[in-house]
Amino acid sequence: MNKPKVAIFDFAGCEGCQLQIVNMEEEILDLISIVRLVEWREGMSEQSEEYDVAIIEGSITRPQDEEKVRQIRERAKTLVALGACATDGGVNKIKNRFDLQEVKQLVYGADSALPHLDSAPTKAVDEVVQVDYKIYGCPIDRREFAHVVRSLVMGKRPEIPNYPVCVECKRKENVCRYEYHEICLGPITRAGCDARCPSFGTWCFGCRGSVDEPNVQAAREVMERYGKKVEDLEDRMLLFSNKQEARG
Amino acid sequence: MSTRKLNQEVFGLWVNELIARQRVVGVQAKEERFVFEPLSKAEDLRLDYDVTILPPKKYLLPQRENLMAFTAQGEYESRLEHEPFILFGVHPYDVVAISQLDAIFRAGHYDVHYMTRRRNATIVACDVQKASAHVFASSMNTATVQDGFDLLLTKIGDDYLADAGTEKGEALLALVPGGVEPAKEDFAKREQVWRTNQESLGKHDLKCRPDELPALLAKSYDDPIWEEKARLCFSCGSCNLVCPTCYCFDVHDDMNWDMQTGTRTRSCDACLLNEFAAVAGGHNFRRHPAERYRHRFYRKGSYIPNKFGFVACVGCGRCISACLTGIANPVEIYNQLYAKSPDIETSEQAALPEVSPVTERTLSEDIYAPQAATLVQTRPLTELETFYEIRLDSGLELGHEPGQFVEISLPGFGEAPISVSSSPTQRGTFQMVVRNVGNLTNALGKLVTGDRIGVRGPFGSEFPVHDVMKGRDILLICGGIGLVPVRSAINYILDNREDYGHMTILYGAKTPADRIFADEQRDWGQRTHVTMLETVDDPDENWHGHVGRITALLPLVHISPENTIAVVCGPPVMYRFVLEELQKMGMSDDSIYLSLERRMKCGVGKCGHCQMNGVYVCQEGPVFQYSTIREVMEAI
Repeated sequence: MNKPKVAIFDFAGCEGCQLQIVNMEEEILDLISIVRLVEWREGMSEQSEEYDVAIIEGSITRPQDEEKVRQIRERAKTLVALGACATDGGVNKIKNRFDLQEVKQLVYGADSALPHLDSAPTKAVDEVVQVDYKIYGCPIDRREFAHVVRSLVMGKRPEIPNYPVCVECKRKENVCRYEYHEICLGPITRAGCDARCPSFGTWCFGCRGSVDEPNVQAAREVMERYGKKVEDLEDRMLLFSNKQEARG
Repeated sequence: MSTRKLNQEVFGLWVNELIARQRVVGVQAKEERFVFEPLSKAEDLRLDYDVTILPPKKYLLPQRENLMAFTAQGEYESRLEHEPFILFGVHPYDVVAISQLDAIFRAGHYDVHYMTRRRNATIVACDVQKASAHVFASSMNTATVQDGFDLLLTKIGDDYLADAGTEKGEALLALVPGGVEPAKEDFAKREQVWRTNQESLGKHDLKCRPDELPALLAKSYDDPIWEEKARLCFSCGSCNLVCPTCYCFDVHDDMNWDMQTGTRTRSCDACLLNEFAAVAGGHNFRRHPAERYRHRFYRKGSYIPNKFGFVACVGCGRCISACLTGIANPVEIYNQLYAKSPDIETSEQAALPEVSPVTERTLSEDIYAPQAATLVQTRPLTELETFYEIRLDSGLELGHEPGQFVEISLPGFGEAPISVSSSPTQRGTFQMVVRNVGNLTNALGKLVTGDRIGVRGPFGSEFPVHDVMKGRDILLICGGIGLVPVRSAINYILDNREDYGHMTILYGAKTPADRIFADEQRDWGQRTHVTMLETVDDPDENWHGHVGRITALLPLVHISPENTIAVVCGPPVMYRFVLEELQKMGMSDDSIYLSLERRMKCGVGKCGHCQMNGVYVCQEGPVFQYSTIREVMEAI
C-alpha cells in the first residue's frame, strides 16, 4: 500500500484537537501504519516540505499566517481543516465582534503593542485557501478523525453528516435537553460527535457549526414554547461563531 | 393456552428466574423517562411506565447493526444475531407495531437480519398501567391486543395476570414458581382494565376512522398545511427515529485500520432528513422540507396502508413528544384535513397481502449479500464514464431483462445501483456503464481488468420487449447516460429483429465529447428499419450534426402513434418536455414507457430511499408504463 505523506500544522487555537490525535494512544500505531507522518510539531521533531495531505488546526489571525497557509495549500494535494477554529473560526472569532485594539488591550494589557502579539480579524481556513475536507468540532471526535484518515488513504470522500445532532441523541435514546428547560443547539448543529454533550447531560454548544440549511427561524420560534428568550439562544449561537448573523 | 395469576413476590422470583436463563430486555427508568435496556434484576423493571423514549423496535431493527464483514478482496460474510432474548413489558401499541414490521420484513424479499432476531425474540406484552401525555392508541385501535405477543401481562390490583399467547409464552409460564389459577373475577378485572384502557389511552382524538386515512389523504396532497407546518421543521428526523413503525435505513461501509477488512453496517434513517432522497449525482428528489414533511404523513396514512393493508401509525404519541416545535402530531394534521373534507368516501380497507410461508432455504439467504464477479473488460467512454464487462464468478448467467439494474459493491465503498447495458442475448458476461459521481463510482473508475466486484440482482422491472413491444414500431428517446439501460433493449431488439417493427433511436448529449457508444450508434443507424438521430446541446467546431435539445429531434421522425411504443430515459429535467411532445404526436400514455432514476439503496423494497410517493422504484420500476404513474406526483 502506498502510504500518503501527512503533515499536521497548527495556527491560532488551544491545540486540543491535536491532543485528541495524541489521545488516540495505541491507535496512533494504526494511524502511522497507513500514513507517513512527515511533520507534526506536537508529536514529533522532524519537519518536511513534501506532503500529500496537510491537516491544519487553528484559525488564521495574522497576515504572516495567511502567507504560510497559502504555501501549505500549494504543496498539499489534499488540505483538511481540523477542528472548529480551522473549519469555522471557532471561539477565536468572537473577537471579530469587537474593536481589535480594545480586544488586544483587554487580553494583553500593557504588552498589547508588542509585535509578536500582533493580531488581525480571525478567519477560518477556507476564508484564506480552498479546503478539501473539514473535521468539525471543539475538540474533534477521534472516531471521525480516524474515519477521515482511512477514507483519504482509500481515496474515498469521507462521509460527514449533514443532519442535526438530534438524530444522534435519538439514536442514543438521550432525554431531550429541552425537557430540562435548557436551550440546546442540537436541532441546528451538524451531527457527527455522537451527541457527545447531551449524552453527558448538558446542552449542545454547537461546536460543529450548523448543518448546511439550519432552520434558525424555527429555533427562534421554539424559544417561546419553552419559556426562553430569543436573545439567550442567539448568545449561545455566538460561542462557536455559529451563524453570527443570528444576531440579525 | 394457560393463564396464571402471580402475586408480587412470585412475579419477582419469576422475572429473576428468566434473567438467569436468558437475556431479558425490560423497561427501566432513564432519568425522568423510560427505556428498554438489558435487565439485570427484577426490581429494576418498571412496568408502571407510561412510554419509552424509543420503541422496543431497537432490539429487532437496531439503530446500528453489522450486516456483514468483508475483506478488501471482496469476500462478504453475513452477520446474523442468533441469541434468544425476551422483550419484557411491551405495550399493546408497540406489539401492533412489531407485527407490522414482521409483515414488511417478510414480504417480498425476506430480510434475514431482521427475521433472525425476530424469531429469537419472545415478546412479553404488558397492558398499559399509566397513560403517557400524548398517547392516542384509543383512536388507532391499539390500546389492547389479542395477538402478536407470546405472553400478555395485565396488572389487576396488586397481582399480575399472565396469559400465554403462543408455545413460547407457555414455556415462560411453566417457569413461574407458584402462582395460582385465576378466578372468574380476575378475568373480569382484566376485562375492566381493557375497557378502561380503550377509553383512557386517548389524549388526542382522531375524528375519522384510521381506515379512512388513505381516502382523506387522497384529497389532501396540495393542502397548504404541509407548507405551513414545515416552516417550523428542523429536518431533524426525530419524529421518524422515535417511531415504532418507521423502518427506513441506510447502509455504510467502514474499513478497519488494517485496510484489509471492514464491516457493512446498516443504521436507521429518517425521511425527514435533508438528503434522504438525494442521488449520487446531486439531484435531491425531495428537496423541500414540506415535501419531506408531507411524505411521513402519507407513508403512515396512505402509502403503507395501500401496500400492506394497515395504517402505519399505532398511536404511541412518541413523535408528538419528540418534536421540539410541535408540528409532528398526526392526529392534529389528520383532523385538520378531515375538517376540510368530512365527506370522504371510505374505500374498503385492503386485506393483508398473503405472505408465503418461510422455508429454511430462504432463511439462510441474505438478500444483502453480494456475489463475486470479475471485470473482464474496462474502457473509458468519456471523461466521466467508464464501460465494464463483467462475469459472475459462479459461472452462471446474470439472468436479467433489458431495463433492469444491479447493485454493485466494492469493499469499503459500499453499493450503488447501476443499469445493465447489455442485452440478455449476450451470454456469459454482462455490461454496464458507470458515471463517476460518487465514492463508489469513483473507486470503480480506478479498477482494471481482472479486478473483482460484488454484484446483487438483477432487480426491478423491464422494458416490455416480451409483450407489448413485439410487432410494434419502437421509438427510443435517450438523454445522456439514459442510453445505458436502453442499449440493452436496442441490442435485444436487433438480435430478435423479426419480432419488432421499425426502430427509431433519438439520442441527445450535452457536447460531442459526452456522447457514449458513438460507434455502436453508427452501426445501429446502418441496420435496416432503424433510424438513428443524434443531437448535442453545445457543439464544437467538428460537430456537423443536429444541435439543440432532444425534443428538437421529435418533429423529424414520423411515427404511427397507435402502432408505436416509446421508451424515454434521461436526466430528471428531460421527461416533462419529452412527454409533452409525445402527447402532441398522438402517443397515448399507455404506449409510453419511462425508465426513472432514484436512490435505490437496497434494491429490494425495504430501505425507503427510492420511493416516489407510495411507489418503490426498485421494485415497481425503474421501468414504468407512463399511464401507471401519471398520478404519482413525485414521479416526473
